[in-house]
Amino acid sequence: MHNRTIQVQLGIGAILASAFLLLIAIPNWVSSPSNVPNIILSPLFWPNTLAGLTGIVGLGLILTSIPAPKPVTEEASDVDDRAAAYFRLLAMAIIMALTMFALPRLGMVWTSMLAFASVALLIKTSHPKAALISAVVMPLVLYLFFAHVAGVAIPQGLFVRLP
Amino acid sequence: MSFIDSLLAGLSLVGNFESFLALGIGVAIGVIGGAIPGLSATMAVALTLPFTFAMQPITGILLLLGVYKGGIFGGSIPAILIKTPGTPASSATVLDGYPLAEKGQAGKALGMALWASCTADVISNLSLILFAGWLASFALNFGPPEFFTLMLFSLTIIAGVSGESLLRGALSAMLGLLLATIGLDLIYGTNRFTFGDPNMMGGLNFIAVLIGLFAIPEILAMVWNPRSHDGTTRAIGKNWVTFSEYKKSFKSIVRGSFIGVFLGSIPGIGAAPSAFLSYSEARRTSPNKENFGKGEIEGVAASEAGNNGVAGATLIPLLALGVPGDVITAIIIGAFMIHGLQPGPMMFILNVDIIYGLFIGLIVSSVFLFLIGSVAIRGFKYVADIPRGVLFPAVLVLCVYGVFAVNNNIFDVGVMFAMGWVGFVMLRYRIPAAPFLIAFILGPLLEDNFRQAMLMSGSSPLILFRGPITWFFWTMTAITVVAIVHTGIRATRKGLDQHKENEE
Repeated sequence: MHNRTIQVQLGIGAILASAFLLLIAIPNWVSSPSNVPNIILSPLFWPNTLAGLTGIVGLGLILTSIPAPKPVTEEASDVDDRAAAYFRLLAMAIIMALTMFALPRLGMVWTSMLAFASVALLIKTSHPKAALISAVVMPLVLYLFFAHVAGVAIPQGLFVRLP
Repeated sequence: MSFIDSLLAGLSLVGNFESFLALGIGVAIGVIGGAIPGLSATMAVALTLPFTFAMQPITGILLLLGVYKGGIFGGSIPAILIKTPGTPASSATVLDGYPLAEKGQAGKALGMALWASCTADVISNLSLILFAGWLASFALNFGPPEFFTLMLFSLTIIAGVSGESLLRGALSAMLGLLLATIGLDLIYGTNRFTFGDPNMMGGLNFIAVLIGLFAIPEILAMVWNPRSHDGTTRAIGKNWVTFSEYKKSFKSIVRGSFIGVFLGSIPGIGAAPSAFLSYSEARRTSPNKENFGKGEIEGVAASEAGNNGVAGATLIPLLALGVPGDVITAIIIGAFMIHGLQPGPMMFILNVDIIYGLFIGLIVSSVFLFLIGSVAIRGFKYVADIPRGVLFPAVLVLCVYGVFAVNNNIFDVGVMFAMGWVGFVMLRYRIPAAPFLIAFILGPLLEDNFRQAMLMSGSSPLILFRGPITWFFWTMTAITVVAIVHTGIRATRKGLDQHKENEE
């Protein structure tokens, strides 16, 4: 992406975020006692100030993009196939969501093994055997350290429990 | 407590096998982490942090400091051998390091990088020991208005110099400050963006945010482009650096070290600008200036001295004022907090043994860096051969375990994943992540000091200008903003002129 495009998109994003915070998020999700003696001491003051400043920064980003030269040519992409890259990102988001879902149910060790293998598969590792061995060994080693050395209660899941 | 008493107290704390072992392991992890392109010193420190929870505070902090020191040097190895800086701080090392490797003199370049790094490290550590105590005793006079203006100045400079533009840095800092407002209000205890969820009431977990912001985006970048870190490793060659070459570059090394100390002690500037400034100064003053960029050993020495000179000095604002000097020290502040320690002037009174223990540990770390660095140079081939398709899934699993271990809470793992996507978007949009993280850490302190100042003055903003210290920080903030805006305008004009010339 060109610098000018980035600057404009960021500016618009910042102004929208600021408007959302000032009009919806802060009035609904920040509570303040009714007897606050001064607006500066209110719990609303700091979020409102920051939201306002975010909007001003957004405006600044748009204004400073005006004198920047307009892009003449398309900037070279950092990946060969953008569609495939976006697909991989989507798959990664699904892996993360499934990890969150599986952690309390399968336990951290088994979920980590599956997450490791899925990510290795997703990025088409050139060393599948090493990846598979690491997918099994690494979560077990980390379990041993955190559960038995650091004394952390690693989630065990509902099915198979480790010593 | 006299200096000798403090020193002995520190020695009694670190004068044991575990502390030195932690330091040595830390340096080794750092060198390996820094040497793996795509992993970086920052990620190495972030991933090591969860392993320190079960340790004694001093042991855990020494481990992290070892990783930091090792990581900054480690970044120079791939910079010289595969033209890919392991950390941004090593970018200047590529300029002369890789041409030397192409000539078959990689061993010489790596040797000089190691010697320059260790020399700079010693100078930086000594500066820390000399200045931190003095600055802390001065900072004992600070009240809430002084701390507020100091943090405002730090955030301004961090936002201004971290990325391509002040505004993008400012946007990043605003987002960090906004994220820090999540939780219960500091004075009234009312809910702010908690959505009634008890997990949100204490605010977002700092470790989850930092690992999400600095480790997960690298994994997502790997998923986006799995071939991004491929490179050809050059052979080390048979030439090794000689003492006469070191002596010839000594002036540049010392100059670079002091540049690193000066820039490192200003919060936010970091190692990369220091390395470039040191390099350009060495080129300007060298009799071989035309050889710079073509494989000049003095260029490697200057850039490595510049970036390692920062490593000890960034701890000056951290220990003396409680303000992190860069992203890595922002992570290290997390280790202090986890162990119930609050860096700042009071630490020099309440925990003087830990302060002097750290000083002793840092001096010893330079020796470890020299020994482990020498081995790492020869062993880089094995590090470079670690397949990325195994390494990055392993980092993901490490992140999940590490973040969970902080509070035994799966919610934190979710926060880490969410912050990973935020970090990835920031990476794609070239928004620097450093102001975000530092603003997230300083946010509650900034607000707390502001509100305390307002309570003290009956809500009169004049208290923020009450004396020479606040005036000094306001002036510095104004100078920083003017300088950065001026530089931005000049760069835009230059771009426009170039664009016009191209059109003609």
